Amino acid sequence: MAMAMDGTAHEQQMLVQWCMAAQVFTESEFRQAIQRTYCTEEEDTEEIQPVIEQINSRMSAFSLELRSCMDQISGIRNWALVNTNADAISTGATPYTASELVTLKTLVEGVFTEKMGNYSLSLHEALRMATKRNGTVAGTLTRAETESLIRKFCAGGWLATDPDGGYVVLGARSIIELQSFFNVGFADYIRLCSLCKEMATSGIMCMECMEAVHPYCANRLASASGNQLTCPACNKHIEQPRKFGPGERGVPHIVESVAGSVRGDSVGLDEPATQSIKKLCIEDSSDDEE
Amino acid sequence: MDEESQVSERTATDLVRYALACHASGKPIKRENLKTHVLGNTPTRNTRPLLDRANELLTHNFGLRMVPLPSHEKILTNNAKAQPAATKWVLQSTLPNDARQRLELAQTEDQQAILGFATTVLSLVFVSNMSVSVDQLVLYVRKLGPPQCIAAPADTREATSYASDAQMESAAREAIGYLTRQGYLDKVKLGASGGGEHGAETQATQATQATQLPTDDRHDEGMMYTWGPKARVEFQPLDMARFIAATTGQECTDEFIKTIGRAYGSNITASQ
Repeated sequence: MAMAMDGTAHEQQMLVQWCMAAQVFTESEFRQAIQRTYCTEEEDTEEIQPVIEQINSRMSAFSLELRSCMDQISGIRNWALVNTNADAISTGATPYTASELVTLKTLVEGVFTEKMGNYSLSLHEALRMATKRNGTVAGTLTRAETESLIRKFCAGGWLATDPDGGYVVLGARSIIELQSFFNVGFADYIRLCSLCKEMATSGIMCMECMEAVHPYCANRLASASGNQLTCPACNKHIEQPRKFGPGERGVPHIVESVAGSVRGDSVGLDEPATQSIKKLCIEDSSDDEE
Repeated sequence: MDEESQVSERTATDLVRYALACHASGKPIKRENLKTHVLGNTPTRNTRPLLDRANELLTHNFGLRMVPLPSHEKILTNNAKAQPAATKWVLQSTLPNDARQRLELAQTEDQQAILGFATTVLSLVFVSNMSVSVDQLVLYVRKLGPPQCIAAPADTREATSYASDAQMESAAREAIGYLTRQGYLDKVKLGASGGGEHGAETQATQATQATQLPTDDRHDEGMMYTWGPKARVEFQPLDMARFIAATTGQECTDEFIKTIGRAYGSNITASQ
C-alpha cells in the first residue's frame, strides 16, 4: 500500500526540518525519517521519489533543493537540502569567517585541480596549502590552527579524509552543492562516470577512450560480465585498469583553457576573475601500459 | 498580483532565506543585518508587514517562526513600557510536541553534551528563584563537570581528568562563560534595593538596577547569574519542571509542579 504522500502540512514541515538538521544524510536515513514522519512501516523503495518531488516543489521558491550524489566506492546515495542561489542573502550568514572561506576555497580548488587527477591532497600538502600566506588574507595560520580548520570543514561535509587518514578529498556536501562552481570555473577537470554519469573523483580510467568509471560502478559491471571489465563508453575490455583517487598513481588532467568568472555557491566561494588561467597537462612519460 | 505586491513577496521570501541561513549558521537574525542584506531601502513602515509575511511563509513551509530574543532590559526590569523594539530574532519550531519528538533530529555528540549541560545548569538556576551567585554557580558546575568540548578546544582535547583545583575552577568558569556568550545565561549586578535572601526574591523584585556585565572574576562582587535571552526563548517553565522530574526520578504530578513553581518564584501553568 502506498504511503499517503500528501500528508498533513505538519508532516511535510517535519521532513524539511529533519533535512535541514541532518545536512547530509544517506537514502536509508531519509527513508527512516519518512517512515517516522508518516508513521508507516512501508519499505517500498519506489516511494521516496514523490516525497522528494513534493519537497522540491515547495522549496524552489526559497532557492532550496534536495540533491544527491552516490558514494563512489560503496554506492550509497547521499542527499542534502542545498541552496541553489549563491547570492548575498544566502552567503550573508555563512558559519565561516572571511579568512576561513578563503582557506576552504583554496583547499577545494587544490583538491579538484590536483595535477595527477587524483582529486586528493596529502595531509601534509593540504596543511602547507592552507597555512601558506595568501596575499588577500592578513596573517598565516599555525599548523594546529590549520588542522583544526580542516577538521571543521570535514565536520561540515565540505572536505573529507580517506579511510587511512592520509589524504584530504572532497566531502559529499562539496560534490552535491558545488556543481555550478566546478562547472563554471573548472569544467576541464570534471570527470563523469560513463556508467552512471555522476561526477567521478576516484575510479578507473579507460585508456582507450579516456572515460572514467566509479569503483562501485566498475564492480557492478565486472560482476555482471564474469569479472571482465568492459568500458561502458567504448566497449573495449579494460585489461589493466588505470586507477585514480587518493593514494593512486592517477591519470593527469589534460587541460588548456581560459577560465572566465567563477560563480559563487552557497558557501560563499565567489570571486571575480582577475586573470585568465592556462594549464597544461603533465604527461606521464613512463606509461607502461602501451 | 501587482508589481508592488510582487516586490513585497520577493522581499519576504528573501527574508525567509536569510533567516534560514542564519539558523543554519547558529547565529541570531539581527535587525541591522536584515537591513543590509534583505530590506535595503524598504521604508520602515513596511518592515512589520514584511516580517509578518515572512513568518507566514516560514510557518507554512518549514514549521518555523521568528521569535524575538528578549532584550536584556526586558529580562531584568520586567517593565513592558521600557521594552525597546526587537533587534534580534531566532527561529523556533511551530510543530506540536508529539511531532517534534517523532523527528529525532540529528545531533553530534558535542551538541548533545552541550545541550544536556546547558539544560542542567539552567534547571539549577531555575529552582534557585532564577538567580544564583557567581561563586555558587561555579561550585555547581565544578561538581557537574563541564563537557570537554566547551572547557577545552578540539585540538587540545585529551582524555584527562582535571587534576588541580585551579584547573577545575578555570574549566568551570570557561563553561559558564560559554553559556553566557551563547545567550543561555546573563551575569547581572543587583541594585541595593534588590537585596535580601535570594530564595525570597521574585523575578519582578530582584533586579531593579541590573546591567549585563562582562564575564570575568573582577566583577564577581554582588554578581548573580540568571537566564539569558536564548534560554527564555528555548526553555519553558513547564518543560523545565518535567526535565527536573525526569532527572531526579520523580513523577511530574501537579503537586510536583507546584513545588517546583515555589522554587522558581512563580506558578507554573500548563500553557507555559
